[in-house]
Amino acid sequence: MLAVENLVAGYPSGGSVLKGVTFDVAKGEVVALLGRNGMGKTTLMRALAGQLAKQSGSFRLDGRDLGGSPSYAIANAGIGYVPQGREIFKDFTVEENLLMGVLGKPNLPKRLPGDIYDFFPILGERRKQKAGTMSGGQQQQLAIMRCLVGQPKLVLLDEPSEGIQPSIVDEIGRTLQTIARSTGLTILVVEQNLDFVETLAGRALFMENGVIADRADHIGELRDKPELVHRYLSI
Amino acid sequence: MEATIALLLDTANFTLALLLVTLGLVVIFGLMNVINMAHGEFFLIGAYVVVAVSNATGSFWLGLLLAPAVLAVVGLLVEWLIIRHIYHRFIDTILATWGLSLVIKQGVVVLFGPGAQSVPNPIPAAVDVFGVQYPAYRLFIMALSAALALATYYLFFRTRLGLQIRGVIANRAMAASLGINTRRMDRATFAVGSALAGFAGAVMAPIMSVDPQMGVGFLIPSFLSVLVGGVNSLVGALIGSGVIGGATTIFSAGISQADAQILVFLLAMIIIRFLPNGITGGRK
Repeated sequence: MLAVENLVAGYPSGGSVLKGVTFDVAKGEVVALLGRNGMGKTTLMRALAGQLAKQSGSFRLDGRDLGGSPSYAIANAGIGYVPQGREIFKDFTVEENLLMGVLGKPNLPKRLPGDIYDFFPILGERRKQKAGTMSGGQQQQLAIMRCLVGQPKLVLLDEPSEGIQPSIVDEIGRTLQTIARSTGLTILVVEQNLDFVETLAGRALFMENGVIADRADHIGELRDKPELVHRYLSI
Repeated sequence: MEATIALLLDTANFTLALLLVTLGLVVIFGLMNVINMAHGEFFLIGAYVVVAVSNATGSFWLGLLLAPAVLAVVGLLVEWLIIRHIYHRFIDTILATWGLSLVIKQGVVVLFGPGAQSVPNPIPAAVDVFGVQYPAYRLFIMALSAALALATYYLFFRTRLGLQIRGVIANRAMAASLGINTRRMDRATFAVGSALAGFAGAVMAPIMSVDPQMGVGFLIPSFLSVLVGGVNSLVGALIGSGVIGGATTIFSAGISQADAQILVFLLAMIIIRFLPNGITGGRK
């Protein structure tokens, strides 16, 4: 589904952070992207979302080359993005935030589906509340639903557990797993919390210095091969 | 008493026209981070559309209808030809739009001459308002401007297009990553903002001296309104226009125009000194 080939990207001032990233994600897979801070994980997510221009290489979704497309075109081609820090619209209500997820999509009705609050009921209770007044965990749930309501084929999920209390992290992990299993949603997730990764992901890629340095083709290897975790994750 | 009522009506009149110009300025700045120095000239073109159409057809009303449409097209062209290439270079947008304002002003001088044009009052009657004989046309300006300002607020706060535009203002990158075509929002907003300024110029033409400098005369108070009300706030545009429009008319009643200007500037400086982010603060 997603084919990334020799992707080089970075910030206009600081040269390239990604130094030739190559990997594939098949339809229905949940793939974790692991690595220490500063190895290029978030840069890769931003590049795939079109928020950073690529310098060379390519990435394709279902065969369609999206490298170099503006981010709204990438979103409308089916790549959903839940960024680090959530980036919800703080002054908008929960409902307005969710509406923002469908209004730009040319093929979707410009209203919210009736079952939108089934996955995270707290969002339904608070739908008229300003999103900025909610807790970090609720905002993360909102950011995830805002993405899913746009019916993406692939979701880029950047550090969904960051700064969120453990009980809500578990809830988010389980709900995402339910959604992924029932709808065949494809997810690429950057995450530091290994419990969360083991709940959700089927396999893992390890990133180091702007390239995919290693991989665990089965998520169980995170436990079976502690040297992998030690090599790429411990500080 | 009668003088007070007339003064209040004049204040409302100027404030509402100022609000239309200010709204465009605020939205364009909020959305694209572009300070449009040519916005006053959009007001100017609106007035000259009325002059040209009145001269050609004898109908003021046709001019009033055409002016916002002409300015919407002018806005789209300016956005497409100039702004979209440089909107991420803040200082350059100021220079470029200032240059554009000079070109428009000189273009008007070439086409219509440097002198003042007059547009006859289309509704010469006077109406009795609480015992004051007040020009009917000024009441018409107020009603129409208020309706248009309300419609603009409705567009931004109650429609889905407005929600998307406010979303782009709040977080452009995220709105784009939700599939919202930010370029289309830029164009729509530039067109609406320009059309509002053009309408304000057209509707004010019969009660102002229509000359090539009239745009600057409106741009400066509307910049002050933005600063006083709060940059990036549509509600601030309303408050700022009220303060600046009100102060300008009230001071002008008692003293000379120049002294009134000084007082208005002083008032703005005092407000900004104590409320650096404007009366609405950081609210968006």
